[in-house]
Amino acid sequence: MAQITTSGENVLRARAKIDVKELVMKIVFIIAAVIFILAVAFICIFIFVQAFPAFREIGLIKFLFGTKWFPTVEEPKFGILPMIVGSCYVTAGALVIGVPIGFLTAVFMARYCPKPVYKVMKPVTNILAGIPSIIYGYFGLMVVVPFVRETFGGDGMSILTASFILGIMILPTIISISENSIRAVPKSYFEGAVALGATKERAVFLTEVPAAKSGIATSIILGLGRVIGETMAVVMICGNQARLPDEITDGVRTLTANIVLELGYAEGLHRNALIATAAVLFVFILIITLLVSLIRRKAR
Amino acid sequence: MKKILMAVASTVLACGIGVAAVGCGGADGDITVVNRTAGSGTRDAFLEIIGITDEELTPDAAEAQETQNVITTVSGNEKAIGYISLGSLNDTVKAVNVGGHAPTAEAISGGDYAIARPFNVVYEKDSTNAILNDFLAFIFSAEGQTIVEDNGYVKVEENGEAFASTLTEGGSIRVSGSTSVAPLMSELAPAYEEAVKEQKDLDVTVTVEQGGSSVGISDVRGGKSVLGMVSRELTEDEKSEFGNSAIARDGIAIIVNKQNPCTNLTVEQIKNIYTGEVKNWSDVGVTFEE
Repeated sequence: MAQITTSGENVLRARAKIDVKELVMKIVFIIAAVIFILAVAFICIFIFVQAFPAFREIGLIKFLFGTKWFPTVEEPKFGILPMIVGSCYVTAGALVIGVPIGFLTAVFMARYCPKPVYKVMKPVTNILAGIPSIIYGYFGLMVVVPFVRETFGGDGMSILTASFILGIMILPTIISISENSIRAVPKSYFEGAVALGATKERAVFLTEVPAAKSGIATSIILGLGRVIGETMAVVMICGNQARLPDEITDGVRTLTANIVLELGYAEGLHRNALIATAAVLFVFILIITLLVSLIRRKAR
Repeated sequence: MKKILMAVASTVLACGIGVAAVGCGGADGDITVVNRTAGSGTRDAFLEIIGITDEELTPDAAEAQETQNVITTVSGNEKAIGYISLGSLNDTVKAVNVGGHAPTAEAISGGDYAIARPFNVVYEKDSTNAILNDFLAFIFSAEGQTIVEDNGYVKVEENGEAFASTLTEGGSIRVSGSTSVAPLMSELAPAYEEAVKEQKDLDVTVTVEQGGSSVGISDVRGGKSVLGMVSRELTEDEKSEFGNSAIARDGIAIIVNKQNPCTNLTVEQIKNIYTGEVKNWSDVGVTFEE
């Protein structure tokens, strides 16, 4: 009986030691989580508190659907519809260029690529992802802008140019996530399809790709998020005219460009209006994030 | 799946054709108008001098965030026109004459070159900040005005006296505002620091930060800076609110690509280009060799 008590005490003492360690670590983890959540919360609160005066004074409808942006004239006009439209056009253009190339490259890398080629392509994709966006912007300004001007006319700084550069910028995202999701499809899908008499192409495109579609869709939406949020490259090559474009060779101004262009110069209501632009952008990104989690949930 | 693939392929093809068809619109010689973003003092000064408002501006004008972006854009585009501070002019672009006058210091101080503006500084009225007052004295001294001239601007004080610092203790001040004035201020600040060190053996620091003329005004108003740089004429309200003075005059150079044969434009022509009434170089008498 006495022996049992001692060993029981030992166990208790040992447990107490572990408990202290656990408690400390628990606190560390909680602090980490709290800091992270607070950071997100503070950003949200900051943006919406600062944006609120703009929404109140300009009016939400006038702000979102106004087509005139004259922030510094006697009676300033703050309508960000041109910027919303600009962001949408550039995003759509980037997806038209980036998605087919990215998707087909991913299929190639996952299922067709010979090993030596793959050894080159994989690092190249990673490098593409690591290039700072200002470099993309500079490349666009020096190479793509003159090319577009001479080939398609206009100023060269246009929806088309921005779409092209952004289309390239989202390739790494689309390629790596799509490739991983195609690789994650069980071998038996492919083998089964081939056993039933399908050619390799049919097996890949008609059984493996549909099985990986949630991953591919996620990659596209993450790419879309990157395009909408991209700033530095866009501001250098899209012309930044705050007006509704008529042609694909017209310049536009995106939401991000609007903020970065004028924030340094802005004061008063103008500044609030720019932060309100950020709030609108924030809502866009929120919607995209929701879409990703919806797709993931559906896939499960 | 095949259907989807076909749909994707045809969409891409259709887009391609659409782009090509639209692309034929741009005729040779169409002017690419480059503008600065709202809030820039250079933009305010330029628009005021040529006499147009923000709303009259052509919506086709590309907007550049900084002076350097205007230069890069114009140097890369044969048909482009832009405007920058004369002090920022370099040999990658060409400045055209305005109304027959080249943008030189003599033409600007004599009033012949029409597109010129003052570089103003604003500060709290009757400020007792010793460093501020000492720094202002330096700017208007012979040394300060020589720096103004050496950097390609026009001096405002012809007979400045030699600088003699009246400081009794060191410290620091913050100067902020116009990106056009900042390069000059960044030359004046270290020269002033050195002069004080030499004369009084005191350490002063003058921090120069860029942000645009309107930021210069709001920073002084909010107490964030003791000296604000403004690269346009001050409004009556601003003049009565702040102590102010012009530290230099600056021409605004109208720049075109080096390949552009244009050498002279009138203020009227520049105005028409920026309102969009004139869209082609041939309408202002400039033909490009093919």
